[in-house]
Amino acid sequence: MRINIEINGDSYEGDVEPRTLLSDFIRHVAGMTGTKVGCEQGVCGACTVQLDGEPVRSCLMLAVQANGRALRTVEGLAGDGGLHPLQRAFHEAHALQCGFCTPGFLMSMEAFLRDHPDAGEEELREALAGNLCRCTGYLGIIEAVEQAAREMRGD
Amino acid sequence: MGTEAGLSADRFVGRPLRRREDDRILRGGTRYLDDIDPPGAAQVAFVRSPFAHARISGVGVPDGLEGVVAVITAADLKGRAGDLPVQGIQGGRVAEEGHPVLAGDEVRYAGQPVAAVLAESRALAEDAAELVEVDYEPLEPVLDARSSDVTLSHWHKVTGDVEGAFDSAARVVRASHALPRLAPVPMEPRGAIASYDEAEDMLTVWVSAQDSHRQLAGLAAVLGRPEESIHVIVPDVGGAFGSKGAPAPETMLVAVAAMTSGRTVKWAEDREENFVASYQGRGVEADVELAFDGDARLLAVRARIWADLGGYLMPTTAIPGHTTAMLMCGVYDVQVADVELLGKRTHKVPTGPYRGAGRPEAAYFVECTVDIAARELGIDPLELRRRNLIRELPYETALGWTYDSGDYARCLDLAEELVRPERRSDPARLVGTGFGMYVERAGGQFETAEAELLPDGRLLVRSGSSPHGQGHDTTFAQLAAERLGVGVDDVELRFGDSKEVPRGVGTFASRSVAMGGSAVVQAVDALKEKIEAVAGGRGMSLRQVAEAQPGLRASARFESDLVFSSGAYGAVVEIERATGRLRVLRVVAVDDAGTIVNPILAEGQVIGGTAQGLGQCLVEEAAYDEEGNPTFASFVGYSLLTAAEMPPVVAKFVETPSPLNPLGAKGIGEGGSIGTPGAVANAVADALGGTRVDPPFSEDKLWRALRS
Amino acid sequence: MAGAALVKPAPFDYRAPASVEEALPLLGDDSTILAGGQSLVPLLNLRLARPELVVDINGIAELDYVREEGGVLRIGAMTRQAALERSELVRRRWPLLGKAIRLVGHPQIRTRGTVGGSVAHADPAAELPVALTALGARFHLRSPGGTRAVDASEFFLGPLYTVREADELLEEIEVPEQPDGAGSGFAEHARTHGDFATAGAAAAVAPGGPAAIVLLGAGPRPVRASAAEEALAGGAEPREAAALSAQDVDDEHRRALCTELARRAIEEAMAGVPRA
Repeated sequence: MRINIEINGDSYEGDVEPRTLLSDFIRHVAGMTGTKVGCEQGVCGACTVQLDGEPVRSCLMLAVQANGRALRTVEGLAGDGGLHPLQRAFHEAHALQCGFCTPGFLMSMEAFLRDHPDAGEEELREALAGNLCRCTGYLGIIEAVEQAAREMRGD
Repeated sequence: MGTEAGLSADRFVGRPLRRREDDRILRGGTRYLDDIDPPGAAQVAFVRSPFAHARISGVGVPDGLEGVVAVITAADLKGRAGDLPVQGIQGGRVAEEGHPVLAGDEVRYAGQPVAAVLAESRALAEDAAELVEVDYEPLEPVLDARSSDVTLSHWHKVTGDVEGAFDSAARVVRASHALPRLAPVPMEPRGAIASYDEAEDMLTVWVSAQDSHRQLAGLAAVLGRPEESIHVIVPDVGGAFGSKGAPAPETMLVAVAAMTSGRTVKWAEDREENFVASYQGRGVEADVELAFDGDARLLAVRARIWADLGGYLMPTTAIPGHTTAMLMCGVYDVQVADVELLGKRTHKVPTGPYRGAGRPEAAYFVECTVDIAARELGIDPLELRRRNLIRELPYETALGWTYDSGDYARCLDLAEELVRPERRSDPARLVGTGFGMYVERAGGQFETAEAELLPDGRLLVRSGSSPHGQGHDTTFAQLAAERLGVGVDDVELRFGDSKEVPRGVGTFASRSVAMGGSAVVQAVDALKEKIEAVAGGRGMSLRQVAEAQPGLRASARFESDLVFSSGAYGAVVEIERATGRLRVLRVVAVDDAGTIVNPILAEGQVIGGTAQGLGQCLVEEAAYDEEGNPTFASFVGYSLLTAAEMPPVVAKFVETPSPLNPLGAKGIGEGGSIGTPGAVANAVADALGGTRVDPPFSEDKLWRALRS
Repeated sequence: MAGAALVKPAPFDYRAPASVEEALPLLGDDSTILAGGQSLVPLLNLRLARPELVVDINGIAELDYVREEGGVLRIGAMTRQAALERSELVRRRWPLLGKAIRLVGHPQIRTRGTVGGSVAHADPAAELPVALTALGARFHLRSPGGTRAVDASEFFLGPLYTVREADELLEEIEVPEQPDGAGSGFAEHARTHGDFATAGAAAAVAPGGPAAIVLLGAGPRPVRASAAEEALAGGAEPREAAALSAQDVDDEHRRALCTELARRAIEEAMAGVPRA
């Protein structure tokens, strides 16, 4: 089947089988490898992208389901003005080591902070539980998200 | 976070610099193995044994399937690939039971690769893999180390009059402990891509690995090719924790497949395979006996350790158990010891180094037994430790190693002060505090580096170390910049490509700063001498020197005995009576890794390691069922902690420099996973009033312990 | 484990009907309905589900609604869990649903996961079936042969097993009006946050009136704790009532866990509810 998906404002077309996962389309058909695949079971969150601004596990969608839809991936997070506050905060707080989980965290939490700008620490920790990290032990990530939230609120 | 010493502008050691690596990662510009898509590559899917133990009487390969390039079985490997090599253990014996690339007439664990399908896509390869017919004759599996009668590794050391010490002891304390197997679970599973240029007779292998050297040596040995005919490239690596150190049988298969099919071949492991077929950590039991005199001074240690090694010896399977055995005197001053390690074969996936690699086990066995002893002797557990700590270093242990430097008493004092001990019992919950000390071996062997002055006056350093998240690029740049007197931005690092970096040893056993960093420092120092010879005191800039004498370079090979990091961890835990639920309220990590080059990165290692140690205590267990089937084949069966479970962790560093390298550095990569389990276990026992359980400290275990 | 490393689905045909009418003829033993995909796609990836035809109902807009009609809450089966979570109507009038939905997986799961999908999948660790049972919900099914409505208490038969036939489409979840001043509580335990629940309890308590207490993890399907409900309605304290809730659970620890979670759910529900 021939499908067309918009990723970060650009259009990508390709031939897929119905069983082709969206994560495979993004990475191997569109060649946008910033989105990673860690489990293909919907648990680790490394494959998280945004569909119409909402976070989804791209390993749990068929590519054909995103036909004609708009996605945002980590490559589209930084704007013309430089890194997103979340990206800057991750860097400041040493919230990444091997970096494999990082794009998934960024796409999950950018959406979450947009929807819940006043979330407290417990709420943030629970939202973060949707992404797994094996390197950092999470404390740097929590600090980064709190810092980004403050900046995005204009505190 | 981090510390700021009063450093001058050109001092970088000790500075909490943020990482240069981050920008590329944050923008999605990383290239891990599966991000590499060579056009026209054939994809691999493995056929794996569903049985823990079986004879194979035949493999039926389907014919003429759509998109299938080849199906490879053990028969196709004869004359092309031998078994994987087996590394020995110092002072001990290991069996010649190397892991075959593909199973021949026997499988010894569920998940063992039996055949490989190459096809135009992974999906097509899986379609075909389902049609491969393997005639299995299931056999009875052996699943318990103590009852296995096949010994794959053995080490036994006796020092001093052990019998006499135990006979004359005022008190003998005995305890048994069991640490289940753990899965390393790097977020990026394993993978390899191979391509063979027949005209040049050059095999190129990209592999998600901890370094290029061991992959190169393994490929050369298994394929029977000279090392010069193999080029190994390590791309970005998404975590390893020991599991990507030894070469994998699958990597060997990919290499052979590239050579026989003439195609570029790619294998990207999936999560289920990573759980089931990647070598596991821990899986050790010990019976420990401590003999004390009337003043609670430790007279002797006796221990028997059973290691559940799995069906074969992977190259490094025998090492963690040996390390455990050699650390069974812990941080204590005792010169009489009898420690025996029995590495047993079971029908499970092999074990191997996993963050800590034998040191967490030793720390756990010793520290838990010391707490038990304190209770039996009626002495405060910290007081008992203080009476027995090694206080003068270097210290030659009864088990063969010499601890280079340390201040164990200071670490313990600091941990006690920072954890704010608490013990409470009320109708709803129990609170307890526990401590766990450790000493661990790091570094060792040698490491290499080359330093080169670039035409623009910047510095290029090639290192035998290889990063997979630790921040080597930033850390080594700090070291090199300080030595040469340039800015960090004027230093470029090269890692991971066997044709680009000098042959070294690699990244494991917390060796990168102590060994890799020292090699960098020595190479830069040697280059600096050459630069000064050219400049001849004329005040030339580096660029001018490079113009005057292009191609200036120097190399270094730094060799050293093992260095020994140490520390004291404290934990406060709470157990909910009604459910048995365990909450870790806070953890204090005091680590002595000698000189700390970058405190932010060092703390990151401690917290990451602590999270893995907590995982071991709270939720992680790679358990096989009675038939030898893995119950942990997915994240449903094997849990990892999330951000919601992490307690506050206070990390502090005590720095007793090692005399064994120019940096005074030891190793910080694994302390968190080594110190945490003992502290948490002792805290749980404290809350339970002395009752001991083995990890993971699940709800139902603790609930039953409360009612026993 | 399977005899091969499987991470890509087996081949299947795919149809994406735009209406219920278009969807119905496609349903049967050889086809599987794809709603949110959060439960089905992992099974497809592991090849544990191998349908010949996948019927993707994400395009059926007529099934996506949350509305109140005459005091009754009507939820279209394709309503996203995230939409239910955000619904002010649900939060105010059927708070037990709001509490349960927040515990379902993670935000990314809830973006795609659907209310109907969770009900039809009937995972024994799922929160929505338990909450809907406590609220006395009814499920509306449609097949080429007609429609029927099944009470939640009769809908779930076992793990991943319901009364829905292969040719039936779950169209709507109907939740009756809750009495004024009713309180609700939901408590659960999981190994880690967002993981499958190991045990849980939903409680809906009307002032001086009937109570509904339903357990998660006490059996292969949501379990009504009738003895506990009667005791509570008869004026028993939460702890006493909870002690009666899990008596049929064999495993001691699980029984204690369910009892404790029932107590918490009941206490949460009772807080602020005037006693008769």
